[in-house]
Amino acid sequence: MSGIVCAIRGGPSSQPTIQTAIDLAKSTNLTVHFLYVVNINFLSHTSSSRVDLVYHEMDRMGEFILLVAQDKAQAQGVPSDGTVRHGKVGDEIVALGREIKAEYVVLGQPQSADDKDIFTHDHLQKFKERIEKECNAKVVLAEGAHP
Amino acid sequence: MNRFWGCSSLLFLLCIGGSTLLPPAITRAAESSPQRVIIGTIYDSQGNPIEGVSVIAHASQASNTLAEAETQSNGIFSLELPEELPPNLSLTIERAHFKSEEVPIQTSDLSTLKNGGIIALPEIILDRHIGIAFWVATVIFIIMLVLIASEKFHNTLAALLGVTLVFVVSYLGRSVSESLYIYDFKRALTYVDWNVIFLILGMMIYIAMVEKTGIFQWTALWAYRISRGRLWLLMPVLMLFTGIASAFLDNVTTMLLMTPITVQISLAMGINPMSLLIPEVMASNVIGISTLIGTPTNILIGSYAHISFSDFLKNLTPGVLLAFLGLIIYSEFTYRRELKKSSNISTTLLEKLTEHGRITEPQHLKKAGWVGLGMIILFVLGEKIHLVPAVTALLGATTLLVWIKPDLEEMIAAVDWTTLVFFLALFMVVGAIQEVGLVSIIAGLIRKLIGENKILAMFVVIWASASLSIVIANIPFTAAMLPVIGYLTKTIPSVHTKVLFYCLSVGSAFGGNGSLIGASANMVTAGIADRAGYPVTYMYFLKKGLPALIITVALANIWLLLHFF
Repeated sequence: MSGIVCAIRGGPSSQPTIQTAIDLAKSTNLTVHFLYVVNINFLSHTSSSRVDLVYHEMDRMGEFILLVAQDKAQAQGVPSDGTVRHGKVGDEIVALGREIKAEYVVLGQPQSADDKDIFTHDHLQKFKERIEKECNAKVVLAEGAHP
Repeated sequence: MNRFWGCSSLLFLLCIGGSTLLPPAITRAAESSPQRVIIGTIYDSQGNPIEGVSVIAHASQASNTLAEAETQSNGIFSLELPEELPPNLSLTIERAHFKSEEVPIQTSDLSTLKNGGIIALPEIILDRHIGIAFWVATVIFIIMLVLIASEKFHNTLAALLGVTLVFVVSYLGRSVSESLYIYDFKRALTYVDWNVIFLILGMMIYIAMVEKTGIFQWTALWAYRISRGRLWLLMPVLMLFTGIASAFLDNVTTMLLMTPITVQISLAMGINPMSLLIPEVMASNVIGISTLIGTPTNILIGSYAHISFSDFLKNLTPGVLLAFLGLIIYSEFTYRRELKKSSNISTTLLEKLTEHGRITEPQHLKKAGWVGLGMIILFVLGEKIHLVPAVTALLGATTLLVWIKPDLEEMIAAVDWTTLVFFLALFMVVGAIQEVGLVSIIAGLIRKLIGENKILAMFVVIWASASLSIVIANIPFTAAMLPVIGYLTKTIPSVHTKVLFYCLSVGSAFGGNGSLIGASANMVTAGIADRAGYPVTYMYFLKKGLPALIITVALANIWLLLHFF
């Protein structure tokens, strides 16, 4: 199995990333593997006892976000699937890239100034190098997009 | 018990019904030998009875103690004197955080005592002493509020840190200087409102069994179906359901379950989820206060002021509905452009939505519905048989546990112990500022500002709480304000006994709509929306929430004025 890994979060800023992956798939005849990574850090200052329930609901929301992206790919004749995972976004992109022996990984362009975000300018270059090294895949940056 | 209980009444009751009022030792003495007892009541300058005041009898100008007693929670002390009495007698009255008093016993009273009689002293008022402990407790309380507001620490950790600092200062600091003493552990525990703790605990267990049935997701999909994709109708229906759920369950749980499915419906319809999520969370904050169990602040207020479930329904719900109507109109206007959009949902997405909007445990839902109905009946009627809400909640939770027989470990684990610990620590920190007199000073200042104008009192309480709840977490704020409101209620002439508490309920809950950090439900909603690619900035929420706050608080204020005056 090979293909294109495209990690998305949903929302308008993910649309250019999705479209870049679809365009790439059209030109390479590869399958797009959309990835949604669940992160529930926002609970750190509120309720802490409902982690399982929140993961369950977030998984479902992630599935739906992926389905919307898959719908878009299907409408343009591109085969795709979706995976929901838990963990750190960077680690999960690399893990999926290895598992499917991805040829390409499509990433969004940085927008956030948050230095914890792997998609910031400084981190993106290092992350790109990590993907190329650990997955042996080419990294494509989507113009004006954010994951 | 009335604080203006006269000396003669007190003496009369002690003589006639002494066997029930006096401690067993005194009662036995009355049966066998003459009594030499001094009775009295000690209040603070605001008329609140003071517990734990040390009353020491000694010969005037001498320091050796003849007898010693301590006031009970109602401020009453009973001092039994020895047979041999000196020619002059004085009482030294002492308590931490109050100025000590020396009360000389009149010669005629001393004669009565020498003849084996009982004397009742006029009420004794102790003035507050503002010492180092006052400033230490005040600073600790402010640090706790800042840590919570800045999100540098989890709420529970901030409160635990606060109470630990109070104990460190009280126990370790006392060895350095007596003036650092705030309170001991035993005294701190008296500030914990166990009715609140057990009510929240019972409701958490009940909710843990309801939330897994899929009812929230099913209702959200049902709202989509009955609105037939018309967004102007879908929005109020979702707001109404979220609000009703919030009136019986906690707002955070409601939004944890409603937000993901609302995002899915929005994405399927091709609209910005914010246009549904923001009105939903604001409705949750508004309608949540229509019942005793809807918000932690109402639970605090209800327990402190003895406001029952039906009192909230009768006195507050109409005002809440009026505010909700205003909120719907405002939301329709604010999101009018987004609501004009319409699109058909693709078959694939609709199938997925239907799959996610299914009742997963219909039998459990049915049982939870019956138990929930029984709980509401008991909440309403329970007051007639003095059944406290905490017992009703525990009864409901246990009944459902026995009926459904879920995995008990899982259900107990679903209890948000972090929140319960937060409440325990919070009660003690607020107790510390009550102990040192900060709450009394604030109450006195507000009382001076308001004078005897009851309408001004309502305005000040409702709008000040709403404004402060924008930046201060509303639970610690409400907990600290309860004794203040109690004092204002007691001292402002002709103010309805509960109206200011309703004002506090409205202000502290509706104030949560004023900013992103104003309510935990806002933070949860924003967190989930962000994970769906729709970040909610502080300014965005402020822009949408502040007008909603003004509209809803104003409408609720109008209702309270009309209803109580």
